Amino acid sequence: MRKRRVLVQLALAALLVGFAALLVNNLTVNLIRTGLGLGFGWLGRPAGFALAETALPYAPSDSYLWALTIGWLNSLKVIVAGLALATLLGVGAGAARSSGNRLLRSLAGGYVALIRQVPLLLQLLFWYFVAFLGFPETPVGGLIKLSNQGIAVLGLNLSVEFCAVLVGLTVFTGASIAEIVRGGINAVPRGQWEAFRSLGLGEGLGLRRIVLPQALPAILPALTSQYLNLAKNSTLAIAVGYADLYAVSDTTITQTGRAIEGFLLLLASFLLLNLLISGGMAAVNGAVLGRLRRSR
Amino acid sequence: MNRWLDRLITLLLAALIGWGGWSTLHWLIHGADWSVVTTNLPLYAVGSFPADQRWRPLVWMVGLVLLTVLTLLGPKRIGWRGALPLLWIAMAPIGLWLLVGGLGLLPVGTRDWGGLTLTLLLTAGSGMLALPLGVLLALGRRSALPVLRWSSTAYIELMRAVPLIAVLFFGQLLIPLFLPPGLEINRVLRAVVAFALFAAAYIAEDVRGGLQAIPPTQREAAEVLGLSPLQSLQLVVLPQALRIALPSLTNQAVGLLQNTSLMALLGLVELLGISRSLLANPAFIGRYLEVYLWLAAVYWLCCTAMALLARHLEVQLDPVRSNR
Repeated sequence: MRKRRVLVQLALAALLVGFAALLVNNLTVNLIRTGLGLGFGWLGRPAGFALAETALPYAPSDSYLWALTIGWLNSLKVIVAGLALATLLGVGAGAARSSGNRLLRSLAGGYVALIRQVPLLLQLLFWYFVAFLGFPETPVGGLIKLSNQGIAVLGLNLSVEFCAVLVGLTVFTGASIAEIVRGGINAVPRGQWEAFRSLGLGEGLGLRRIVLPQALPAILPALTSQYLNLAKNSTLAIAVGYADLYAVSDTTITQTGRAIEGFLLLLASFLLLNLLISGGMAAVNGAVLGRLRRSR
Repeated sequence: MNRWLDRLITLLLAALIGWGGWSTLHWLIHGADWSVVTTNLPLYAVGSFPADQRWRPLVWMVGLVLLTVLTLLGPKRIGWRGALPLLWIAMAPIGLWLLVGGLGLLPVGTRDWGGLTLTLLLTAGSGMLALPLGVLLALGRRSALPVLRWSSTAYIELMRAVPLIAVLFFGQLLIPLFLPPGLEINRVLRAVVAFALFAAAYIAEDVRGGLQAIPPTQREAAEVLGLSPLQSLQLVVLPQALRIALPSLTNQAVGLLQNTSLMALLGLVELLGISRSLLANPAFIGRYLEVYLWLAAVYWLCCTAMALLARHLEVQLDPVRSNR
């Protein structure tokens, strides 16, 4: 039996290696035909294209590597802002779904039912072309200035593309987070609500101090996967022309023809991003569980 | 005080909804121009399918709608209900035959496929490829053989780390590079393959969740009964695991349908792609809101219908119900 298992595995390994060899062989033949070869030397050459939005100084004469770094920073910017806003919106909408106010409850329910059944890409195009570009120049109270040039909030200048991606990701992910939060809140025994009410605590305070902390262990793992989804979905920014990592990679590959190297770089960048998010969430999860254990 | 806060919230929300409703109504009556939708209905439905052959994709879609209505609303406890699963499975080859042609029908190239037809076909095609692949990957990840377990895990984790648009884009670029020179597969098929390879990794994780929920005693019982490992998997473990995984598989299926819209970025003229080319037409310039609302309604209907069908299947497969 043991011998058979080893044999099966050897055969399987041979099969996998053979398949990989076949692919690599085809690849080399094709690469020789196109005369490209593999290598990362091109990363040091000047990129030659301009970027609309740069967190650090960048000029077209800078290298491809620097252009990709700028793209990565742009991605990081929209992802971090999106994570924060989507969490706020999701927790708010999720809590609203178990609120005592019927109108508020059904409004939150309608939001979730509508947003989750419409593709994100369509929503992004809507926010960009209809909501932001279609908006007339209207200063709202002097605090927020909307125009088709960009949006100024309290002295902070944001591009239209950034805002469209941010709002689109926030609204879309917020609906999923709302469902997770609602599930977590429902998992907390009803007795806990009755207990804080009979102690005279208000609904909002009770929700924040009694119910949500107990709902967190059920919420956090699902929240992590939503965060990872948001990071991956941020690549749809290319549809509205926001210069994120994927958009810059796309331009780079089109210019240099380095599809395989470009894919490997993108893969590495996303592995790093995922590691940052899941690492951070694991730390939060550990802290929450530890605090819960101590308080019991 | 609490009651007053409650009333205030109600009042504010009512004002907000009233204002939103009023401006929407105002826009619908005075601002909207639906000609971009009404004059292009055939394009949204079947793309640039030859005009005299349009009945073929239309017949297929009408068939799908009829079958959906029959399944959800048709009379219960009638013998022919047993034929419904077969009919659903038959819709795939029938649809392919109607679109591709041959066997007495005029052949039509994939270049002419588009609109809702292409969206549904991409969903069905990639789903059918992804489900078996996903089940195999899930079994591989739980296998006792390390080589199989490691390779399945590596595939699943790598695929889940990258965004779909990257997989689709590089699928278009890289699949030809890895194939023997001279062998070419067309764009729609390449998209379906890349899409299925991506979705399989997510399906595998859902199925694995289902497999983990099956207690080991089930497998032991099957062994005592004299079933071979393959039989026990096929007759005892997988049916139960898939039933448990069904709700999350439903979410994957709805996600699959929504994500076909990404093909528009690769130049395929499915539902969103055809709208992008319509909006580039000078006759319909600036009619973004009408087109996007119309598309949102179509996608919403399709996704909701899919979710309802899956819910129906869940109820049908519920052991408590069928034992009665």
